[in-house]
Amino acid sequence: MANRTPLLRAENVVKHFPAGLGTSVKAVENVSLEIYPGETVGLVGESGCGKSTLGRLITQLLPVTSGNIFFDGVDLTKLRGEKLRQYRRQLQMIFQDPYSSLNPRMTVGDIIAEPLENFGLLRGRAKDQRVQELLKIVGLNPYFNNRYPHEFSGGQRQRIGIARALALRPKLIVADEPISALDVSIQAQIINLMEDLQKEFQLTYLFIAHDLSVVRHISDRVMVMYLGKIVEVADSVEIYRNPRHPYTKALLSAIPIPDPEVQSKRRIVALAGEIPSPVNPPSGCRFHTRCPIAQLPTPCADQEPPLEVKARDHRAACFFSEKVPIAV
Amino acid sequence: MSQPVLQIKDLKTQFFTDDGVVQAVDGVSFDLHPGETLGIVGESGCGKSVTALSILRLVQEPGRIVNGQILFRGDDIVTMSDDEVREIRGKDIAMIFQDPLSSLNPVLTVGFQIEEAIEAHRKVPSKMALSRAVELLKQVRIPAAESRVRDYPHQFSGGMRQRAMIAMGLANAPSILIADEPTTALDVTVQAQILELLRDLNRDLKTAIILITHNMGVVASLCTRVLVMYAGRVVEQGPVERIFKDPQHPYTWSLLQSIPRLDSDRHDRLLSIEGFPPDLIRPPRGCRFNPRCQFRVDRCLHDDPALMNVGPDQDAACWVTMRRALAPNGELRG
Repeated sequence: MANRTPLLRAENVVKHFPAGLGTSVKAVENVSLEIYPGETVGLVGESGCGKSTLGRLITQLLPVTSGNIFFDGVDLTKLRGEKLRQYRRQLQMIFQDPYSSLNPRMTVGDIIAEPLENFGLLRGRAKDQRVQELLKIVGLNPYFNNRYPHEFSGGQRQRIGIARALALRPKLIVADEPISALDVSIQAQIINLMEDLQKEFQLTYLFIAHDLSVVRHISDRVMVMYLGKIVEVADSVEIYRNPRHPYTKALLSAIPIPDPEVQSKRRIVALAGEIPSPVNPPSGCRFHTRCPIAQLPTPCADQEPPLEVKARDHRAACFFSEKVPIAV
Repeated sequence: MSQPVLQIKDLKTQFFTDDGVVQAVDGVSFDLHPGETLGIVGESGCGKSVTALSILRLVQEPGRIVNGQILFRGDDIVTMSDDEVREIRGKDIAMIFQDPLSSLNPVLTVGFQIEEAIEAHRKVPSKMALSRAVELLKQVRIPAAESRVRDYPHQFSGGMRQRAMIAMGLANAPSILIADEPTTALDVTVQAQILELLRDLNRDLKTAIILITHNMGVVASLCTRVLVMYAGRVVEQGPVERIFKDPQHPYTWSLLQSIPRLDSDRHDRLLSIEGFPPDLIRPPRGCRFNPRCQFRVDRCLHDDPALMNVGPDQDAACWVTMRRALAPNGELRG
């Protein structure tokens, strides 16, 4: 993986939202990452950690405060107007809520055709054919193109959202919690569909979710975010077996395993309190206020640990990563 | 075994809508024993929440309980007067909901709302009610309870609000606490804290808990017994170890196969249950799961199975059962 050229590379990306009275929400703080062609990268963290904002920065739905985002070697943050628009075709997004992300007044056919029209790609019969083909690809009846979103179930709507994202033959798809609004029995349908589509169209995914068990299933590599920072990156087997950041460890231990025998033997690393405010994040390591192994005040409260290599293809931002207990 | 504290017998709750009668809960029966932790799992629309609301007679129009008994210590809640139900609600049986923000009044302090819950059932001097509220907040591990008792709900985080709701639920030391998706709106680390709290309360106060959830992992970490619901019916019930290790209903089995497990390194394709849950105005003939069941036989299409004993203390409503469906000689075919 290391010697290939990344499809997408983010460098020191920062996003602050003004929060009044001169304060700001530090949603994303100095994040650097690479996404390689054909892989699925999972991005996990609790609500408010900045994972959705990062997804929107990558797809250029939000402008960065500072930093660079290179796609196929081109810095998207430097592009404007038509040039940026042409790159946007290759970056598509699937949203969490299949109810609010589809216009209720448009037919499914028009929803899927909209990106094609925006880029003036296909017209008339050819466009209709492409829409029907896309419906078929995502497992829907191609003759449903005249129906409206409310005629579909949540899972079917998510398939429509996926068809729309595929319309422009993108290279990278950012899926922001694509299954968390769906029923359990439908979630597997969508995960399987996304995996099939990836093989068929050589897609690259950034899969954003709060559920580490789903992320671990679908991803080749997993990034863990906490309060605007990436705190750990590793492949999905390694991150579970050998977490090097105490937050990752706590997150893993908090996820209940659907097996009472296994679950009763697990030890939960209880975190004190909840995620602090991103308006005024803690000094030094942002996790130090909840960390079970922090050494205070020095170094954890006054120095920021860099995201550094701890093992092969495994980076973590912790001064005491060797003290993170191994078994989950 | 001890006398059940709650017995539900053939409960049917229906919603009379313009489109027709929705058979939301269709013949549900179960017992709850003192101090037990019972999980009710199923997908949205399976009737798990309506079952819970029926127990407290909180089903809203156009919904109505049309059949069955809900026996609380032998008295039928279904036929009680409104005053009698109000006496039980919040005192003997308390309920907490998924979204603590919308269940708390934003213009009243948390402490005031807990005091209200106490005073609804007992005449107590307001000083005593206040000190009881502080004590309850401490019990649910709210730090600095003495000062936080004067906070408004918006000053609490999501996890603290759910703790405050639990404190309110515990105000009158109920014998049953019904928790409807209590952790669904919370982050996993906070969910783990709330589950631990519920586990401790169940152990220390012997409060029986009915936990309603769609999350199999949550059931596995808290419950001793589980009911699996599908399309308004209980399709399987039994001790939690049996249901997870040896599920006999194809729906239970499929559900467990369809969720990725954190502790699995294998990257197998997930089993997916095709189709989607049925319309409960016109439920399918025969077994309600049959259109989505990969193990169905002819009988399933027209003959509706009742719960049958399939193992120690375990019942499933299935003509086939997984034991036969997965048998190597394929006795199913033909």
